[in-house]
Amino acid sequence: MDIAVLVKASLDVNMIKADSEGRILLDSIPLAISEYDRNAVAEAVRIKGELGGRVVAFSVLTWGPADKRAKEIENVMREALALGADEAHVVVDDAILPSDVSVTAETLSNLIKKTGDFGLILAGEGSMDMMSAQLPVRIAYKLGYPVATFARKIDVINGAVKVTRDLEDVLQVVELPLPAVVSVTGEINQPRLPTLLQIRKSFAKPYKAYTISEIGMDTPEKLFPFDDIKLVTVSRKNMIIEGENLEEIAEKLIDKLIEEGVVRV
Amino acid sequence: MKALVIGNKTSHLVDGLGFIQALSSETGVSIEAYGLLYGGGAEETKGFTKIFSMPEASPEAVANTVSKLIEKMTLEMVIAPAEKNGTEILSRVASVYDMPMITEVSGISKAGENTYLERAIMGGRATALYRFKTPMAVTVPAKKFKASESGATPEFEELQVIDGVTKVVEVLPKEKGAVDLEAADVIVGVGRGFKAKDDLAMAFELAELLDGEVGCSRPVAADFKWLGEDRWIGISGKKIRGKLYIAVGISGAPQHIMAASDTKVIVAVNKDKNAPIFTFSDYGVVADLYQFLPVFIKKLKEKKGV
Ligand SMILES: Cc1cc2nc3c(=O)[nH]c(=O)nc-3n(C[C@H](O)[C@H](O)[C@H](O)COP(=O)(O)OP(=O)(O)OC[C@H]3O[C@@H](n4cnc5c(N)ncnc54)[C@H](O)[C@@H]3O)c2cc1C
Ligand SMILES: Nc1ncnc2c1ncn2[C@@H]1O[C@H](COP(=O)(O)O)[C@@H](O)[C@H]1O
Repeated sequence: MDIAVLVKASLDVNMIKADSEGRILLDSIPLAISEYDRNAVAEAVRIKGELGGRVVAFSVLTWGPADKRAKEIENVMREALALGADEAHVVVDDAILPSDVSVTAETLSNLIKKTGDFGLILAGEGSMDMMSAQLPVRIAYKLGYPVATFARKIDVINGAVKVTRDLEDVLQVVELPLPAVVSVTGEINQPRLPTLLQIRKSFAKPYKAYTISEIGMDTPEKLFPFDDIKLVTVSRKNMIIEGENLEEIAEKLIDKLIEEGVVRV
Repeated sequence: MKALVIGNKTSHLVDGLGFIQALSSETGVSIEAYGLLYGGGAEETKGFTKIFSMPEASPEAVANTVSKLIEKMTLEMVIAPAEKNGTEILSRVASVYDMPMITEVSGISKAGENTYLERAIMGGRATALYRFKTPMAVTVPAKKFKASESGATPEFEELQVIDGVTKVVEVLPKEKGAVDLEAADVIVGVGRGFKAKDDLAMAFELAELLDGEVGCSRPVAADFKWLGEDRWIGISGKKIRGKLYIAVGISGAPQHIMAASDTKVIVAVNKDKNAPIFTFSDYGVVADLYQFLPVFIKKLKEKKGV
């Protein structure tokens, strides 16, 4: 059974850049693999180990400019390949940038349909930058497949998939017929950092970038693009307490906390 | 305009009603509120015209039932709790009707003629604004929008479940915690810098000395299960707003630390001087927690004379 895995080249939230007026400089924030998509790749590779087949990673570039980002999305997909995916297909096209989740779902579903038949499509529970947690469901409806979200365990059993959903108060086990879409939580497995050899091998694996017309799409209309993004400002004292030894540092820290009125002795 | 609030607890209906009232006062549009409780009894909540109820069912079945209601009643908004089932159900409904869906709305604002719905993105480092228009689906966090429960007593109606292909085969209990981090003044946060569960004893000792509680990063609760999920701090856990937060062995990912941004003073202890946590804290100690915590605890005890 072939498995598709959705991997987002997400804005790296640890590298947010803004100008002196607090405007976010979207174009200069680097892209990185979305945290929980590494779990999705690792899970796909685990299931492939049981059932055989190929693991194909898919992505749609959502942040422009396309020419500058083309290499960045390739690097993200090389990481997915190093984690064990067999090939990667992406759409890079200025016509959809910045993409909203409905256009991303439309584009991804066309890309997947063009590439092959997949028994299972895995995604992350939410993307690192947008965290909308709705793409896996939207794509399932576009493809006409059943879907389950927030999986912390997946068992594929003849023609169906049993998914343990990690809800706030309970674990809910659901069963769906295949083909199906499943989004995974960060706790489903512990992806290991790829080894140097795996990274090197990833460059020999097939990687293909398409424009939307190459996958038979016209420029779609965005359903709900955001109108503005504002930086949340953080202002803290950022004082590193230094001293001759840990005793001195501890004392200085305690004095500061007393001064602030947050610790009483 | 008609809006439907769904949820499996009465509090979900109240949270959604609060959002409707806030939206109504910002836009000047009067909104008639309907409720749908899936699982959970149909308790009376004033302010709703009608409350539908249905038995507990899979998210797919709830979504099918909601979709049917949308057709029947020309609903222009659907509102769900910003938790996992609410998010899945609403994403399904939004997919069926190709409706915009704003996940976890944190505020409503106005600029000129337009009303905007706000939500946190980029791990909480930024806020995105979406122009309000109908039809629209939104999920709302608990207790974010205060409702005034007044007006007529709702009618009730029971609905038939419209099943889909998803079968719920089992529901397993999850360990419930009883710590109320949101009410704590002092919190000691523990992260992956701790090597073993037993080592958390140091954090508990420190918290006790400061009359505080122990909280943690996501991996400590969700992955390692060293602590209950009631202690998990972050955008997908608890938001904290006390006087002091001491983050120990936590790297400072935005998804964690932005949930502490209403705390008065933040202290970080991390052995990596380049850890992002230091840019989000007032006082930083660059040290191995295994060496620093015992000294810090000893000095605190001396000062307190205990
Ligand atoms: C959509 C989404 C939602 C998320 N929601 C949350 C959330 O709600 N809450 C949350 O916490 N995370 C959340 N995360 C995960 C988050 O991105 C980080 O992965 C997580 O917060 C990291 O936890 P940590 O700091 O404990 O571990 P790490 O990032 O591994 O950091 C451990 C730190 O400990 C330090 N350290 C190691 N050993 C020592 C020592 N001996 N002494 C001192 N310091 C030491 C290291 O230098 C390092 O900085 C979310 C992620 C996503 C994508
Ligand atoms: N542009 C994208 N390309 C590939 N996969 C995506 C993209 N956007 C979202 N996804 C997948 O959908 C999941 C949830 O994303 P979101 O709905 O943005 O929170 C992510 O973890 C990815 O697996």
